[in-house]
Amino acid sequence: MKRVAYYKGCLASLSAKELDSSTKALAPKVGLELVELDAVTCCGAGDIHEAEPDYYLHLNARILAYAEAEGCDMLLTVCNVCTLNLRQANWQLKNDEELRDRVSKNLQRVGAPPYSGGVEVRHLLWEIAEGEGYELLKKSAHRGLKGLKIAPFYGCQILRPSKLLGFEDPDRPWSLERIIEACGGEAIDYPAKVKCCGFPIIQAREETALGELIQPIEQAKEAGADALVTPCPLCHLSLDAWQSKLKESTGKDFQMPILHLSQLVGVAAGLDESELKFKRHVVSVTPVLEKLEV
Amino acid sequence: MEAKHDVLIVGAGCAGMRAAIEAHDAGADVALLSKIHPVRSHSGAAEGGINAALGNASEDSPEEHAYDTVKGSDYLGDQDAIEILCQEAPDDVYQLEHWGAVFSRTDDGRIAQRPFGAAGAPRTAYAADITGHVLVHVLYEQVMKRDIRTYEEFFAWKLVMNDDRCQGVIAWDLLDGGLKSIGAKTVILTTGGAGRLYVGTTNAYACTGDGMALALRVGVPLKDMEMMQFHPTTLAPTGVLITEGTRGEGAYLLNSEGERFLTRYAPNAMELASRDVISRAEQTEIDEGRGINGNVMLDLRHLGAEKILERLHGTRELSMTFAGVDPIYEPIPVRPGAHYHMGGIDTDVWGLTEVEGLYAAGECACVSVHGANRLGGNALMETITFGKRVGHHAADWALANTTVEVPPSVEADAERELKELLDRGEGERPWSIRDELAESMHENFGVFRREDQMRKQGEIVDSLRERYERVIVEDKGNVFNNDLTQALELGFLLELAACMVPCGIERKESRGAHARPHDYPNRDDENYLRHTLVTMQDGRPQVDWKPVTMTKWQPQERTY
Amino acid sequence: MVSELAPAPGSTTIEVALKIWRYDAETGEKELKRYEVEAPDWVTLLDVLDIIKDKHDGTLAYRKSCRMMICGSCGMRMDGAAVLACKTRMYDIAKSGHVPVISSMGNMPVIKDLVVDMEPFWGKIRRMKPWLDPGYEEPLEKERIVSQKQMNVIHKEALCIMCGCCVSECNSMESDPEFFGPAALAKGMRFVGDVRDQADVARLNDYNEEHGIWDCTRCYFCNERCPKGVDPRDAIAKLGAESIKQGVDHDMGAKHAKWFVHSAKTTGWLRETELVPKTQGVVEAIKQTKFALKLARRGKVPPPVPPHVADRIHESRRLYHLVKEQGRDGALGIVQGEHALGRIEFAEQAAAKTSDPEVRPGVKPPPAAG
Repeated sequence: MKRVAYYKGCLASLSAKELDSSTKALAPKVGLELVELDAVTCCGAGDIHEAEPDYYLHLNARILAYAEAEGCDMLLTVCNVCTLNLRQANWQLKNDEELRDRVSKNLQRVGAPPYSGGVEVRHLLWEIAEGEGYELLKKSAHRGLKGLKIAPFYGCQILRPSKLLGFEDPDRPWSLERIIEACGGEAIDYPAKVKCCGFPIIQAREETALGELIQPIEQAKEAGADALVTPCPLCHLSLDAWQSKLKESTGKDFQMPILHLSQLVGVAAGLDESELKFKRHVVSVTPVLEKLEV
Repeated sequence: MEAKHDVLIVGAGCAGMRAAIEAHDAGADVALLSKIHPVRSHSGAAEGGINAALGNASEDSPEEHAYDTVKGSDYLGDQDAIEILCQEAPDDVYQLEHWGAVFSRTDDGRIAQRPFGAAGAPRTAYAADITGHVLVHVLYEQVMKRDIRTYEEFFAWKLVMNDDRCQGVIAWDLLDGGLKSIGAKTVILTTGGAGRLYVGTTNAYACTGDGMALALRVGVPLKDMEMMQFHPTTLAPTGVLITEGTRGEGAYLLNSEGERFLTRYAPNAMELASRDVISRAEQTEIDEGRGINGNVMLDLRHLGAEKILERLHGTRELSMTFAGVDPIYEPIPVRPGAHYHMGGIDTDVWGLTEVEGLYAAGECACVSVHGANRLGGNALMETITFGKRVGHHAADWALANTTVEVPPSVEADAERELKELLDRGEGERPWSIRDELAESMHENFGVFRREDQMRKQGEIVDSLRERYERVIVEDKGNVFNNDLTQALELGFLLELAACMVPCGIERKESRGAHARPHDYPNRDDENYLRHTLVTMQDGRPQVDWKPVTMTKWQPQERTY
Repeated sequence: MVSELAPAPGSTTIEVALKIWRYDAETGEKELKRYEVEAPDWVTLLDVLDIIKDKHDGTLAYRKSCRMMICGSCGMRMDGAAVLACKTRMYDIAKSGHVPVISSMGNMPVIKDLVVDMEPFWGKIRRMKPWLDPGYEEPLEKERIVSQKQMNVIHKEALCIMCGCCVSECNSMESDPEFFGPAALAKGMRFVGDVRDQADVARLNDYNEEHGIWDCTRCYFCNERCPKGVDPRDAIAKLGAESIKQGVDHDMGAKHAKWFVHSAKTTGWLRETELVPKTQGVVEAIKQTKFALKLARRGKVPPPVPPHVADRIHESRRLYHLVKEQGRDGALGIVQGEHALGRIEFAEQAAAKTSDPEVRPGVKPPPAAG
C-alpha cells in the first residue's frame, strides 16, 4: 500500500461529498492508503492566486508542509484546480531559494511546519492511469462497465499549462480513455474534451460560461455517450448542477449524467450507493445504473 | 487617387515609424504605407543593441563614437553625417526611453550598455537580445497613440513622378486587390535592405530592396551598392541571425581545432573586431579546411546558464529551434551570412535625394554613415536619428508647399503593365529565377570577390533579367495575392543585383566589406577614397563616383 | 511556451505531406486539400508552405516575414492548435507518417486560406491605450532611473510579438467574441506593471469593465500556445491582483476572488453557500433561489452554519496578516518563475537597490547553477 497525504479540497468536503466518499472507498482497492490532513485550507482555486498572490503561495506551501510533516512524499489530489495550484506553488518555491526561505520562515512563525519541497503533488487520475495503480485498477474493476459509452472530459487545469502538469500531452491526452477501457467501458472521442467547462466564470459571466459549457455536453451527446466522466469537481459542478441552465438558454434538455472519476471506477469496482452517493447528483445517474444493472 | 497626404512613408520599420512620429508632431498629415503590418518589419529582428555615447558603462563621447564609426567604415563614411549621428544619438536614445522602451539596466538604474564590435568603449544600449523587437513595439505604440493612418498590406510598386517632383506612390492593395494611387507632397522611403539577394541571409522574406529599386527607377542614384555586410554569426542553412551580443557578453569563436583563430587575424579586439574582419577570418578558416560542415563554432558555455537565460534567451531559443543546439551545453555552429546593406539611395544629411519631394532613411538609404562597413549597433541608431531628421525635413517642406497631383496617365500606365504581367499564361515561375539569383550571388559576390567571378555574375544577372521578362504569376485573384507581390519583389532584386555587380568590378581595391584578396588585396585611398554611384540608363547600369566628405579624420591603417 | 530542442539540420531529404484548409474569399468555397512535397530535413512548416506555393500551387495564401519567430506574421493552426509556422520543425512529424491539418487561426475571420483578418485583434490592442502614460512629470534630460528588477516585472509581457496564437485558442473569446483577450490584456499589464506609467488606476478601471479581466475563463490555452513564453493568463492574473490591491474591485469576478480569500482566513475552506450572494449580490441571489433550491435538494448547498472550519485555523489567519505586513501585494506577488530573473524582490518606489552581484561582460561569471 502506498501511503499518501490526501488533499480533498473544498468541494469534496462540502457540496461534492460524493467525490470524497467514493475516493475513500476506492483508494485501498488501487493500493492507496490515504492520510487525511485536517489542518489544511483551501488551495485558493486560482482565485486567491489572483486576489492575494502571496497569501496563495503561503497557503499552498502550508498544505505541502503538513503533508511532509505526516511523513508523506506524495500529496494526492482529486481536483484539477487544486492540482494546478499546488503544483504551481511547489514549482515556484522549488525554483527560487530566497522565496522558499521567506515562505518557510513565515510558516514557522505562525506555528506551521516548514516547507522544504519534499512532496510531489499528483492527481488520483495519474496514479491509476499507469503503473501499479493501473494494474490494481484492472484487477478491481471486476464489475465492469459492460461497454457503457463514456465521454472523457479532462477540462483545463489537469492538462495546461503543460510545463507545470506535464503528465500527458495536453492536446492528445490518454489517461481517462485508458481508465474507461480498463473498466470495461467504451471511450467516446469528441473535440471539446480538452476545452473549458466555464466554471471559473460561471457566476461572474454566466452567459459566456454557458457558451463554453454546452460544447462538451452537446458533442458527447451527439457522439452517443451515455455519460461524461471528469477528474475535476468544479467541472462536475458546472456540467451537472448547471446543466439545467442550458435548457433555459437553448431549449435543449440533455439529461447527460456526469460522473466523478472515482465514481466511474468505483461503480466498475462494485462500490455501493452509500459510497458512490449518486443521489447527490442533480442530473440523474439512474439511466447509467440501469444499463449497468446495478 | 485614393487619398493624399503631406508626407507618405513607405516602409514602417524603425526608420519609417520614427519619421512618421516626427512628421506628425511637426504638424503634417502623415501616413505610413507598408506591405506588411508595421510590427512585422525586420527592424524587429535586430538583436544586439543601439549605439549612443551615453557614458553609462564607461567614459565615452560622441567624438569617440564618431571616430570608431569612421574607422569602422574603412574611411568611406561621410564624416559630417557620422558626426551628426553620434552627436544626436544620446538624446534620441533618451527619447526612446521616455516613450517607454524596455531597456536593460545597470546596477544604478541607468540604460545598460554592452561592448560591441569595433567599439572603443561599451556603448551599445540593449534590451536583453531583443533590442529591435523592443524598439519596434515602443515606436508602434507611439504611432497608435497619434492615430497615424497606416495603409497596411499595401505593396508599393511605383513612385509617382510629376512635374519633376515625386508626388505619391502606386501600390497594390493586398487585402482587397487592385492598384491604388496615393498622392503625397513628400514621399519617404524607409524600406530596409535587400538581403534576399543572397541564399544565406539574416534578412526576412520581405527584405527585397523595394525602396532602392523604386528610387532607381525614377533616376535617383544608388551609392556604394557593392557594400553588403556579411554578419559573422548566422545559422546554417538559412542564415538566421545570432547576435553580436553573444560576443559582447564574452563568447568565443573556435575553428575545428578548438582554436580561437582570431588571434591570427585580430589579436587585440579578438571576437569584438569589426564584422568584415571576422567574416573574412571565418571564411578563410572554412575555405582552408578548418571549419566543421562549412561552419565555425560560437562557444557560449563559459558564460553560464544564468547569464545566457537572462541576457541571451532569444539566442538560446533560436539556437535550439533552428540549429538543434542548446548553447548552455554545446557551441553553436555559425558562418557568415548577408546581413546589412551599407549601400543604398544617395541622400544628404536630411535624407533628401536629388529628386524633389523624395526622401530616404534607414538601411535603404546611404547618407553615408556606414561607408564600407557598419558597426554593430549603428544601424538601429541610424534608423532613429535619421528617421527623425527625415520626418522633420519632409514635414517642413510639405507644410510649405501646397499641390499634389497624380496624373491619370501614370495610373493608366501602371494598370497596363500589371495587366500584361497577370495575363501572361505561360512562362517561368519566379522561384527558379529567385533561387538562381541568390545562389549565384552567394557564390560570385560574397565575402571574397574575384574579377572573373564578378564578371560572370554580371552575365548571370543579365540572363536572369531576361528570363524575368517571361515570369508568370499563378494567382490571378484579388484577395491576398502575394504570388503577384513576390513576383514584383523579384523584379526589384534583379535590378539591384544588376547595379551592385558593376560597382564591385569598378572598385579596384579592398575596402571594408568589399574584399578582393586575389587581385586588389589592399585599400587604395589615392584612387578609391570615393563612393560608387550607379544609375540605370535604358536598363543598363552606369557607374559614376562621388567624393567622401571628410571633416576630422584622415585614413589610417585599419587593424583590430 | 519556450522552445524545445529540435533535431540539428542535416543534408538529407524527407517527404512531407500536409492537408490545408483552403478558403476562397471571392467564392466562399472551402476545401481541404492534400499536398505532398520533398523537402530538406531541416524544414519548418513555413518552409513547406513555401515549397508548395512555389512549385505546386501559387494561389496558396499565408503571411510570413522573418522566419525566425520574432515578427509574428505566420500564426496558423496545425491540427487545431495555433503555432508559428516558422517555429514548427517538420522532421519528426514527417518521419512519423502523420499528416497534419493546417488551418487558419481561430477566433479571427478568414480572409483567404491561412490569412485572417487581424483588424479586430488590433482594435482590442488599441483599446488598452497601449502607450506609456508618464503623467504630469517634467520632461527629463536623460533616462528615467529604473532598476532591472523593476523592469523585470514586465519582462514576459514585453516579449509579445502580437502573433495571435493566444487569441486563436481563447475559450472565453470563442464564447464571447468581445472579450478583450489574452494579447490585449497582456499588453495592458505591460503598462500597469511598468513603474514609469502613471495611469494605473485609470487603466485598471478600464480593463475591469465588461469583457475585460474577469472574463478570462482560465483555460490556460493562451499560456500553452504562446510561442514566446509571454504567459498571458498570468498577466491577466497580475491585472486582477493589481486591481484588487488598488481597490478597483467592483466587478463580480473580483468579489468572487475576494470571497475565497475571506473564506481561507476565517474558516480555511470555501464558504460555498455564501459565495453567490457575496459575488453577485443579494438581489441576484434571490433571483437564483429556484436554481439554488434544486441544488439544495441534492445537498449541493451546504448550510453556512455551522461553518466547516479547518483545524489550526489560527495559522491561516496569522499567515494572512503576516503576509500583508510583508507587502508583496498586487502584481508583484505573482511569481514569474523560469529564467534567472524570476526573482522579484520587493520593489521600491525610488531608485534601484539590489543585493545581487550584477554579471558584467568581460568578467568571468560564477559557475552556473544549471
